[in-house]
Amino acid sequence: MKDGDGALMGDTKVSATNVNVYYGEAHAIKDVSVEIGDKAVTAFIGPSGCGKSTFLRCINRMNDTIDICRVTGSILLEGEDINAKSVDPVQLRARVGMVFQKPNPFPKSIYDNVAYGPKIHGMATNKPDLDAIVESCLRKAALWDEVKDRLDKPGTGLSGGQQQRLCIARAIATSPEVLLMDEPCSALDPIATARVEELIDELRDSFAIVIVTHSMQQAARVSQKTAFFHLGVMVEYDDTDKIFTNPSDKRTQDYITGRFG
Amino acid sequence: MADIAAPRRAASLAEVTPSLKKRRAAEARFKAYGIAAISVALFFLVALLSTVFYNGASAFQQTSIRLTVDLKQDVIDPQGRNTADAVMTGNVFRWGGLVDEALLSQLGIDPNDELLAADAQKLISGGARIYLRDYVAENLDQIGTKQEIWFLADGVVDAFMKGSISEETEESRRPIKDRQIAMLRQLEEAGALEKKFNTGLFTFGASSRAETAGVGAAMVGSMYMMLVVLALALPIGVAASIYLEEFAPKNRWTDLIEVNINNLAAVPSIVFGILGLAVFINFFGLPRSAALVGGLVLTLMTLPTIIIATRASLKAVPPSIREAALGVGASKMQAVFHHVLPLAMPGILTGTIIGLAQALGETAPLLMIGMVAFIADIPSGPTDPATALPVQIFMWANMAERAFVERTSAAIIVLLGFLLIMNVTAILLRKRFERRW
Repeated sequence: MKDGDGALMGDTKVSATNVNVYYGEAHAIKDVSVEIGDKAVTAFIGPSGCGKSTFLRCINRMNDTIDICRVTGSILLEGEDINAKSVDPVQLRARVGMVFQKPNPFPKSIYDNVAYGPKIHGMATNKPDLDAIVESCLRKAALWDEVKDRLDKPGTGLSGGQQQRLCIARAIATSPEVLLMDEPCSALDPIATARVEELIDELRDSFAIVIVTHSMQQAARVSQKTAFFHLGVMVEYDDTDKIFTNPSDKRTQDYITGRFG
Repeated sequence: MADIAAPRRAASLAEVTPSLKKRRAAEARFKAYGIAAISVALFFLVALLSTVFYNGASAFQQTSIRLTVDLKQDVIDPQGRNTADAVMTGNVFRWGGLVDEALLSQLGIDPNDELLAADAQKLISGGARIYLRDYVAENLDQIGTKQEIWFLADGVVDAFMKGSISEETEESRRPIKDRQIAMLRQLEEAGALEKKFNTGLFTFGASSRAETAGVGAAMVGSMYMMLVVLALALPIGVAASIYLEEFAPKNRWTDLIEVNINNLAAVPSIVFGILGLAVFINFFGLPRSAALVGGLVLTLMTLPTIIIATRASLKAVPPSIREAALGVGASKMQAVFHHVLPLAMPGILTGTIIGLAQALGETAPLLMIGMVAFIADIPSGPTDPATALPVQIFMWANMAERAFVERTSAAIIVLLGFLLIMNVTAILLRKRFERRW
């Protein structure tokens, strides 16, 4: 699983160049450039407030919803600039799914949670198609066997770990190419965390996954590439193995050995 | 002893230190204040309700007199057409004769004894002939027969029967004569005098005769106004709140609008009445005294309440729901209408119904737009002259007669009943929507 060989990775899916983010006067992200590979897990690590979540939210333009937030630089998804005027964030977010820190299923049935994305994007016109999408997404999210008998029950009635897997199923239901995960396990217990991590490893075959995490062990377990952020700067970006065994920057070394953060 | 700064500690857990004593006393005092405040509030509530019910309960019964009326063809419909039209357009003044005749024969009074006959006639409501006409129009097949019909007694008789006029009072100082009382006793013995449930209270409009005055017209007027308020204030208020809360940029202008909306909620209601008079009646030329204008004015008054309640319930929807919807590629509007609004619905409905209840009880602005009017007929549409329940209460409260005093309280009971129904509806709706996902 921890096979950080760059040669195994697919082509570049997302390429960010000189991205800067400002919250009003505050300069949150400074000149970050990163290439995110397809069919691989890229982990962003760093101390709290270092800008890793902010950068993640740039990739599906969730920062647009914050009035005072301003993003410069270029982010390309398969060569297309996602910040171009002609790009509707709605279209982008169908291709770049997101899973949030706290499980946030809609207060609707399990079925409706998964079916909502395909419905609004017109991906299924009839009930059997929709049923098929829902089933395959729940299967991919390793949740099908647990919920197949209660698809009409509210999603909020599931346990925390199940809710998070439901959110993952919801995110992959629009068949995205990139899956962004913002600390997906921080609200889960170790057993649920292990299941989600297994799931991430399986999903790697189909998506480019970017995961923000506080847990260095998690980053080491699930990712092939790791980027270390500190104070809004991306300090180091390399194969996960290298980051955790032989980092080239002193700050990375200090962080992963627990000297700060 | 070694360390002076060490906190003084009780020797045992059970020991009551002075500071603990003080804290307990403070807590007990606070609880006592709370109980006292609630008791005072409850006392006033009970006092208010019991006064209203004590005064108003009797108005739900009305004294009626049973007479056997000979429905003579030549009086009712001399042409013998026997249609409802013919009955309704006949000379209603001649109908009084039928009632008087029945009454005198019931009491065994010689019609030629004019003084006695005049006293007897005063026992029956002046509205009896109109009632008889309406009765015949609905029962055309009974023309030419004798029928037992219950007529409303006069307001004075009703007051006497309910005990608000005492027989002990000197005859010259009470509105009912000894021999009239004797007639009533006679009717009572014959089983022809009874207190019945006062349906007229809910069907009649305004009347100068207490026994034929009711809140029917006012209730219909209030209903039209509530419909206008609901149809306008709910959509406008919810749309405005959604825009301000979810879409509008946060800048000086939206701040200014927000402050103004909050201030509008505190504007005295009479000011809205003047505004309505100037704008809706004088400028737009809408009819005076109409429920439509009343509804428009009350809409203006209710809007801030609805907007404030709606914005509060939109704010209470966790942002994670919006993020989740946006995250799967919903547009902002889809996120709001598919996810945020349903979750905010219970709060919006509660706010709306509280706003409506407030509007239902509002009097002052209606005085300004001419809804303080003598409305005898039930309005048939929102543009007809109408009055409203609280205004009817206000008008009756100015009347001195005992029958109107009890009607004032009865109208208050009806109004409180409506408010209770609305509040219960609010609670039920909230429960329903909270359970439904």
